[in-house]
Amino acid sequence: MKKTNLYIFSLLFILLISSCTNLEEIILDETSAGNLTPRQAADGLIAPVYALLPTIFQHTTYFALQEITTDEAILPYRGGTDWGDNGIYIALHRQTFDPNNANVRNTWNPLLQSVSRTVTALQALPLNTDPVAKEYLAEAKGMRAYFSLLTLDLYGLVFVKDNPDAGSQILRGDAAVKFIEKELLDVEPLLGTTAGPGRLTKGAVWGLLARLYLNAPVYRDIYASSFNFTASDMDNVIKYCDKIISSGQYALASEYFSIFDDNNNTNKELIFAIDQRGDLNGHNRMAYFSLSGDMFPLAAFPNANGTDGPAITSDFYQTWAKAYAPEDPSVDPRFHKQNVGRYTNPADTCVDGATYEINRGIQRGQQYGLQRNVSGFTKCADGKFLVGPLVHLTRNKFNLLVNHTEKVDFTPQGSDYPSGYRVEKYQFSRISDSGRNKGQADIVILRLADIYLMRAEAKLRKSNDGAGALADVNFVRASRTARKAPPALTSMNLDLLFRERGFEFYWEMLRRTDMIRFGKYEGTWTEKTSTDKNKRIFPIPQTAIDGASNLKDYLKQNAGY
Amino acid sequence: MNQLWTFSQKGILLIVLSLSLNVSAFATNVLQINGSVKDATSGEPLIGCSVSTKGTTSGTITDLDGKFSIDVTDASTILVFSYIGYKTQEITVGNQTNMVINLEMDGQELAQVVVIGYGSSSTKDITGAAKSIKSDDFNKGIINSPEQLLQGKVAGVNVVGTSGEPGARQNITVRGPGGLRTGSTPLFVVDGFALDNSGTGGVVNPLTFLNPNDIESIDVLKDASATAIYGARGANGVILITTKKGKAGFSGVTYSGSLGISNLARKLDVFSADEYRTQVKAIGGTLEDLGANTDWQEVIMRTAKTQNHNLSFSGGNENTSFFGSVGVQNQEGIIQKSDLDQYVGRIKINQKSLNGRLNIEMNLNASQVKSNRPAIGTLLGTALSLNPTYPAYNANGGINVFQSTFVNPLTYFNLEKDITTTNRVMGNISSSLNLFKGLDYKLNIGVDHSTFVRDVQSLAALTPRQDGRLDTGIGENDNQLIENYLTYKFVNKDINLNLLAGHSYQKIFLHGRNSSINKFPISDLEPIYNPGLGQDLTIANNKPGGYAQINELQSFFSRANFQFKDKYLLTATVRADGSSKFGANNKYGIFPSFSAGWRLSEESFLKNSVFSDLKIRAGWGQTGNQEIPSKITQPLYTNTVSGTTSYPLAPTGAYPVGISFARLANPDIQWEVSTQIDLGVDFSLFNGALSGTVDYFNKVSNNILLEVIPADPVQPATTFWTNVKDMTITNKGLEFELNYQKRSDNGWSYALGANLTLIDNVVENSPYSVIPSGSASGSGLTSATINGYINGQPIGTFFLKDHIGFDEKGQSKFRDANNDGIITDADRIAAGTALPSTMYNFNGNLGYKGLSLSVNFNGVSGNKIYDNTANANFYKLRLSKGINVTPEAILYPAEAITNAAPISTRFLKDGSFFRLNNLSLAYDLNTSKLGIDKWISNFRVYVTGQNLMVWTKYDGYDPEVNTDSTINGISSYGIDYLSYPRAKSLLFGLNVSF
Repeated sequence: MKKTNLYIFSLLFILLISSCTNLEEIILDETSAGNLTPRQAADGLIAPVYALLPTIFQHTTYFALQEITTDEAILPYRGGTDWGDNGIYIALHRQTFDPNNANVRNTWNPLLQSVSRTVTALQALPLNTDPVAKEYLAEAKGMRAYFSLLTLDLYGLVFVKDNPDAGSQILRGDAAVKFIEKELLDVEPLLGTTAGPGRLTKGAVWGLLARLYLNAPVYRDIYASSFNFTASDMDNVIKYCDKIISSGQYALASEYFSIFDDNNNTNKELIFAIDQRGDLNGHNRMAYFSLSGDMFPLAAFPNANGTDGPAITSDFYQTWAKAYAPEDPSVDPRFHKQNVGRYTNPADTCVDGATYEINRGIQRGQQYGLQRNVSGFTKCADGKFLVGPLVHLTRNKFNLLVNHTEKVDFTPQGSDYPSGYRVEKYQFSRISDSGRNKGQADIVILRLADIYLMRAEAKLRKSNDGAGALADVNFVRASRTARKAPPALTSMNLDLLFRERGFEFYWEMLRRTDMIRFGKYEGTWTEKTSTDKNKRIFPIPQTAIDGASNLKDYLKQNAGY
Repeated sequence: MNQLWTFSQKGILLIVLSLSLNVSAFATNVLQINGSVKDATSGEPLIGCSVSTKGTTSGTITDLDGKFSIDVTDASTILVFSYIGYKTQEITVGNQTNMVINLEMDGQELAQVVVIGYGSSSTKDITGAAKSIKSDDFNKGIINSPEQLLQGKVAGVNVVGTSGEPGARQNITVRGPGGLRTGSTPLFVVDGFALDNSGTGGVVNPLTFLNPNDIESIDVLKDASATAIYGARGANGVILITTKKGKAGFSGVTYSGSLGISNLARKLDVFSADEYRTQVKAIGGTLEDLGANTDWQEVIMRTAKTQNHNLSFSGGNENTSFFGSVGVQNQEGIIQKSDLDQYVGRIKINQKSLNGRLNIEMNLNASQVKSNRPAIGTLLGTALSLNPTYPAYNANGGINVFQSTFVNPLTYFNLEKDITTTNRVMGNISSSLNLFKGLDYKLNIGVDHSTFVRDVQSLAALTPRQDGRLDTGIGENDNQLIENYLTYKFVNKDINLNLLAGHSYQKIFLHGRNSSINKFPISDLEPIYNPGLGQDLTIANNKPGGYAQINELQSFFSRANFQFKDKYLLTATVRADGSSKFGANNKYGIFPSFSAGWRLSEESFLKNSVFSDLKIRAGWGQTGNQEIPSKITQPLYTNTVSGTTSYPLAPTGAYPVGISFARLANPDIQWEVSTQIDLGVDFSLFNGALSGTVDYFNKVSNNILLEVIPADPVQPATTFWTNVKDMTITNKGLEFELNYQKRSDNGWSYALGANLTLIDNVVENSPYSVIPSGSASGSGLTSATINGYINGQPIGTFFLKDHIGFDEKGQSKFRDANNDGIITDADRIAAGTALPSTMYNFNGNLGYKGLSLSVNFNGVSGNKIYDNTANANFYKLRLSKGINVTPEAILYPAEAITNAAPISTRFLKDGSFFRLNNLSLAYDLNTSKLGIDKWISNFRVYVTGQNLMVWTKYDGYDPEVNTDSTINGISSYGIDYLSYPRAKSLLFGLNVSF
């Protein structure tokens, strides 16, 4: 009896021991970096630094913050069914946005995550033995400065972090400007010249320095009633613009819209841009966003259409109309480029699907295009594709023509589907089967025309050098020779330069920054009456404020939110 | 081990001593009577049964083998055998010297055995808050998972079906949600085997693998002193399911079957074609009239049939008993082509050997559950909003195809299909070996394995234009358990001591992967039968996905129950739980509990009072919630080529593999802790005719686990997981249960029962201004949130702008809650909660001879529902565009047809309801009277109505609803968006035993 029990206890003991575990978590479905060559590791560290740029530069992120808050773009609640999004686009346009605005948050998150990726790269690249690591290190540091320039411009602060395990130091105002300046100056000699436009080069840093010096008076004193543009800042703008122009590496494009074509990666006007590839990271949001939902730009893809997003305000349109009156603004090749014959020739109704391209630039009035039916597009007798007037078929409104009107606002009629003139600046990616995906055009961050216009502005601001500024502006105008170049201007001042920047850079995500610098951001335009200076910078997203709420006084909300 | 050894020896010594004391009382003229006392049904010896001679104070108790020995003076002595839970027997000694007494369980007392985890106890003896529901008391009707059996039956337990779909998940909380995340589900233990709450494919409730007909009882452990034995899994309560087993001396076959007919319980009141014509014109909209009068809800719905068949076999002798069953339920949903088929087979065998010292129980449950779903959201959305003047069918009787972007919902039935098949086998063997008197060693080994396949297919079509796609996901869940434990029982006249100590190891492996293919030729061929016909396969559209994880749980547990003189009861438990999910610095958590009870009714001052039982209880304990995601303590950086991690570095060539952090390490992550006190009174009056329970509880959860945004926003990952130490979620409340039953001699019997729960939930010390959840659905509403959890308010709070009417232009006006002159998100207010403050249930039984009528009502109040369906569909602007609406859209004459309807209190509605849940009339044939009892021992026919009436102000399909709108794992509550409507059913059933 006793023996049996001993056996049983021994068995029990064995069972106990055999089922003991140290509870170490076994991970089956994830892997961290393995056997990489130094070159692969270096590539693997620098690629993520750039990788979130397409996310940051989306229609609902940086574009929304830089354009919908201004007179260049308005996004009403289309037909009461689209782009309502709980009022966030209306709040942006009225400048009544608050810390819970999803656009504000969705721009902040990838931007700050990108800063963190530069910190990771800055930690690891110095240990990398591959020869490319040195240039990558300079790019990572330069990109940190660029992301910081964006956080300073949008949110009024920069985060300085060198040690990934320590907290960031927060800088605002002059200290933030000095930090970005020093970082850019540090990396300028270390960068290459040929990796662009998709990556950071010497030329790109010169351009960013010019942009920084031009806006530094704003950043130093964001709520000022007038900004103090010092001669030394303006000299620096001129100095770095001169460096780019005299480098001979860049050239103004003769066809304005080629700057935004699918294949613009080799366009010599681009200094710094986001390299989009259809099979990796490209989105077509810039091209699809504004177009009518009943505009189908590609004969190959009957599911690729627009979405009736933002339009330009009539105020912005009027700057064109008044500048060229009594002529139509289309005398300026930057305003419009017609690709579809049907607009001017009613008989031109059959097109070859392979070469069919929609019009570019600002779209007004009745729209023509491919005729969608239940099985695809309607064809002509000869097998070509029929082009005809568009109606709001996808909205089930067969009597409502796609006729873009100048009037667009938040009234029921003003926010109906066809309201407002639309913008098709970037080419609608030829391989985008959904209309949203597979973008190919590089998204422009810096291009040569901006260098000329920044230099012109610095000349005006420094010594009121109207002649020098006029020469720069007219040089850019005169270079667009592919069609008829816009007429030369005869005089130049800050107001005219601001107007010219609108003509040249509309919808290129510069408008908000420009309006603040030119003192026009508190102006009045369609559906916008706020004069609150606090809205010059965005609120820090409530999520970030909440996340930091356990560290007292660490992350302070911007004034007025 | 050595200590246990000596301890048990001492125990035996004590017993021997106590026995010998009784024997030596009389020296002359004595008859020594020996005997044993057994359970009349199971034949198991009854230990500690009191044996006394009537009219004297002398007596003894049975030993660990159920044997006794007593000396009596003469043959006319009457011996009284009494044992808790059994009917007392009096037997005249006569000429017997060796008696075998079979005590029968007291029917009423039988109902009061509670399974408490690693053992069972009588209700009288437990010191924690627990409630047992036996099969007779289960809810009746079409049932496809065990939670539905106890809805409304237990105070403090809230069961909310997520929708009316067959097999829909049931959200069940015990004493309120103690956390913010999903994973507030209680722990389910089936026959001693702890389940993992992971899904088993599709949207089907994982508990559909059990056949409700196989369940004998469901026990709910509510307070921490009861659940602490399950440590890190006890914080949300524990639900113990015990299946039926065979009985010795009985053998038979039972067939039960039913046929159910279900229809839509309440239609949404969208305009009929005529009303639509009038109303569109009345508000100045453009009317498109195709002349038909179509009720689109009727078009997509049907009268659904449900068949249920069960055949069970059971029997046994002294050493072996068995129960086997096969069950089939084919349930049609009230939306066409939505079905749930359940097939379950079960075997339970109990075997004794080694002279009764070894008891083995084996369970084997195999099931297949198959769900077919059409595109429910699209169908309902279309049926509710489609122009009722459109004809559903064309002149030839075929489906009418519209020449517009509106799609006839009937076309979706042929185009969209979502099929999930889950096979699940669960088996466990639990054996108990008696080592010494009172000391048992128990071993429980089990495996629960399920595999599932889900196919979501879309046929290619011209209208609506789609390319066709097949998505296939397969998965496997594996849960293995081994438990070793010792129990020791010591009983004498005054003391009853139960000790338990053990070790448990559980390993859960979850694995799944999916693949897809696009672009099928337009044909009737279903892609699932030939995926190879797909013509488009790209990494962008068809990147395969998958997951795999192993979670291990190792525990050491012990419990001591001590009773003195059957009056003073003490229980203490402690469990140390270690989990592989916890961080390296916090591998083990200790979860203690203490509770005490005092049976006042056993005190002399209450003897012979109206109280047949009166007990007060108090308990305190700590439990944990380890339902935290795997891997969150571990760092991760990924190297992948993807749009957000890679970037072209050169004009041509392959893209580099981007190395990026996906998650930060946090070795300190641990369980959430719930500390609960419970005070209770159990009473029973008039010989048990009236009984009841009152409990007060206060459950405070802290160490709340959240995925938070770091203080420093410059982080590789935008969020990380942490325990928010100071934040608390408190649930406190009162629970009442009252039952009255009476059986009269003239054949009538009746019983009435009721329970009531008053509960209050509050979030405190959250460092966050608002934790949002409940993402809104519908056009114009994306990016808005409906729930928001803030300090001083309960979980499930609706955090909304306050709609106060319309301005002169007919646009919505909102209250400027912070008085800053503008209406922004900062003006949102806590506008109520989805959690009811009051839950109640009434049930009654009336019997006369073979007839019995039972009825069951349940209700909740104090809660609100966000009618997202109405918010997205039923407002004037929609009607003006020719979209059909309910009269709710034209409720406000001041509203302009241009007014948008953002998320606001406008669509927040009272969620209180009172439901006639089921009503059942049954007739039992008196088989012996008919002389057929040789062949048929029982014959019962019944008719049951389910969900017959709902009294509510809510005007959606049903107030019991919870459309999952979780954001970042934070649970949403009380949102109704195109939820599958609930059915009203009538069942005709038959039970026959042979």
